[in-house]
Amino acid sequence: MSDPQRTNGQPVPEHNPYKDQPAFPTTIGPQPEGLPLHACMGLNACAGADRFGTAGPPTTGKPNECAGQGYCATTADHTCHVKNDCRNQGGCGLYGTGEEMNQPAKNDCRSLGSCATPINAERFSTNGPNQGKSVWLRARDVFATEVWPELRAELLHKQAQGQVPATQKLPEKLGPVPEVFAPSGPTYLWISADNTKRDNMTACGASGMSGAGGCA
Amino acid sequence: MPDPITPLTPHERDMVAHIERTQSPSEVLRELKQNLQTAIEIELATIPIYLFTYYSLLRNKQTGENIEPPQLFANKAGGFIMSVAVEEMLHMSLSANILFAMGVAPQLYGKAPAAYPTGLPYHDPKGPPGPGGVTAVEIPLARLSFEQLWHFLQIEYPESRLTFPADKNWDTIGQFYSYIRCQISTSFVTDADFRHGAAASQIQPYNYSPNNVDTVYPKEKFDPWKVAPPGHLPPGTTHDRHPSASAAAVFTDQADSHAGPAQLVTVSSKRDALIAIDTICDQGEGYAREQGDETPSDDPSKREWSHYYKFLRVQAEFDRYGSEEETLPDDPKPPVAIRPGVSDAELLKAQVLFDFPDNPVARDYPDELRPLADFCSGLFQYMLVMTETIFLVPPSGQKRFFNEALHRSMIWVLDKYIQKLRDIEVPTGPYKGKPMAPVFENISLRNQKDSFAALTELGEKAMAAAAAIQNNPNYTAASKSGASGASYYVSYALTYQSNGYPMHLPNVAPYWP
Repeated sequence: MSDPQRTNGQPVPEHNPYKDQPAFPTTIGPQPEGLPLHACMGLNACAGADRFGTAGPPTTGKPNECAGQGYCATTADHTCHVKNDCRNQGGCGLYGTGEEMNQPAKNDCRSLGSCATPINAERFSTNGPNQGKSVWLRARDVFATEVWPELRAELLHKQAQGQVPATQKLPEKLGPVPEVFAPSGPTYLWISADNTKRDNMTACGASGMSGAGGCA
Repeated sequence: MPDPITPLTPHERDMVAHIERTQSPSEVLRELKQNLQTAIEIELATIPIYLFTYYSLLRNKQTGENIEPPQLFANKAGGFIMSVAVEEMLHMSLSANILFAMGVAPQLYGKAPAAYPTGLPYHDPKGPPGPGGVTAVEIPLARLSFEQLWHFLQIEYPESRLTFPADKNWDTIGQFYSYIRCQISTSFVTDADFRHGAAASQIQPYNYSPNNVDTVYPKEKFDPWKVAPPGHLPPGTTHDRHPSASAAAVFTDQADSHAGPAQLVTVSSKRDALIAIDTICDQGEGYAREQGDETPSDDPSKREWSHYYKFLRVQAEFDRYGSEEETLPDDPKPPVAIRPGVSDAELLKAQVLFDFPDNPVARDYPDELRPLADFCSGLFQYMLVMTETIFLVPPSGQKRFFNEALHRSMIWVLDKYIQKLRDIEVPTGPYKGKPMAPVFENISLRNQKDSFAALTELGEKAMAAAAAIQNNPNYTAASKSGASGASYYVSYALTYQSNGYPMHLPNVAPYWP
């Protein structure tokens, strides 16, 4: 029998492997000018583009160094399908077609994205070839193999025209995501600060299986 | 590959010959179009019934490791009901595509049942008796119960291959679709008859997805902190007492549950139309099962049950299942009772079931709640208008329109709006003490061109009512919060913007003359 006094998320794991990580930022820091926003950890296009922004995490004051290294989403957080503002800013996995769910965080434009951002590591796709599997791992793979090559070419072109600073590194190979998150993506344990801030992120779904604090 | 179209039965072949012998080609075409519009109205009639019962369930009061048996059942029942509702929307779309292909604009707005309890159009149920010993009773809007599941069975009762096709006084929906199959199969109907409405303007396959996070349910307690595979956590992070959410998830619909190339097909030939009809029949009744199969699945992989069997499996968990209150047909073989069984009282006590009033109507809510009920009906009607509008949107813009119109209204507005309504305890009148339930009335939004303006007027009244409730001493703090939340979703539907871009429901006026 469960303890009737328990609330959602309890019991919380005794061991939190993210204690040494900077806390999940609820607000998004200043971003490099003229560079695209993104849907989640490791899907950033350039140095300084992540939730902490150009100032970096308060613990280090050092922004991420290049594409693919960032901490979490910079797109305006949204909770649900078709609520994304712009290209490549949808999360995925909860609602949408199998095709959409097979290319999380890769969408053509506003309203064509799927589901809540950031993409928490517990979330699995409900349709398509990725059904039952991690949305974030799929998103990272799609970013590395499909989105980044195309985006990089666009940014290199802009850089050549002076629209992106020449100092901005645009490496062919993505940088690694923060090591402790590499096998999974951003966990809700980290996002919710050990289950103490469940409102840090919500995701839809009446079944309670989205892995985040639900808007139901 | 076997032909996806189910061959005509001997009775259907006889009916084809009968139609060809007794009717003219023009009569057959005219009646076929009428029957397709009726099919749309049959499917449409089921949607409020299923949604009402669905929203009587609270699926996530407990999650993860804290799920107790009543919650587990409520979540499962919700997953199955939503999986069927999603497929009813698919069936409505398929019938609409066939009708549009024949040159007739499908009509949905104002075509839901006029009042509840309701019969389905031309339905004359003759199946086995249910609770109370009666067969031919009308179907109510009601919360989940043993009785309501019997009504669901009544809707989805399987056709015997030995019964005759029928377009009037049909006993099963399958009989009605069987008659449509016969009409299409006559020599009077040709491929050219399905080329009066462009396939590109019909509802496209890419708009349909069989599953979503609401058709999924957990089969057992799960560890919410475990990550989805193939991801993994550092060793020792979790207790490892339960599986991850993804490992506990049951997907109630399957991607291969269809007769042709996709679940939602467009139509430009007789064959396309017959494929669409087959998908409807197979999903509803598991008609494609092989001889000797005891469990009616509707897909080649045999992983998805028919609508009838899904509901029967849910009902088998009620403590009254298996009693003499209900007679079930022998085919398909009824599942064994799952014990220990659940009861209405247990679900209500566990607070995973809302004690909705039966067949609520806006006029019976207190004056101050009526505008909130009217907006619910208005939103439902506007969703039907938006569905009609899909056929008028230039094909290149359909995906975006569908997302912004249908996905947004269903997932983000109606779903959340109803969840907020049910937090309101009705303080006076016939529903006193009950949670506020949705209503799905054929409220007027004037003509389609003016419908967004009409919905906006209803929304303004609903928001004003919600504001007034904040100062009404008859309402509890929880009720006031519910009204306030409902008001937020009204504004989301009508005016919401993000970064300067409109993110509310689209105004359909530009598409209508």
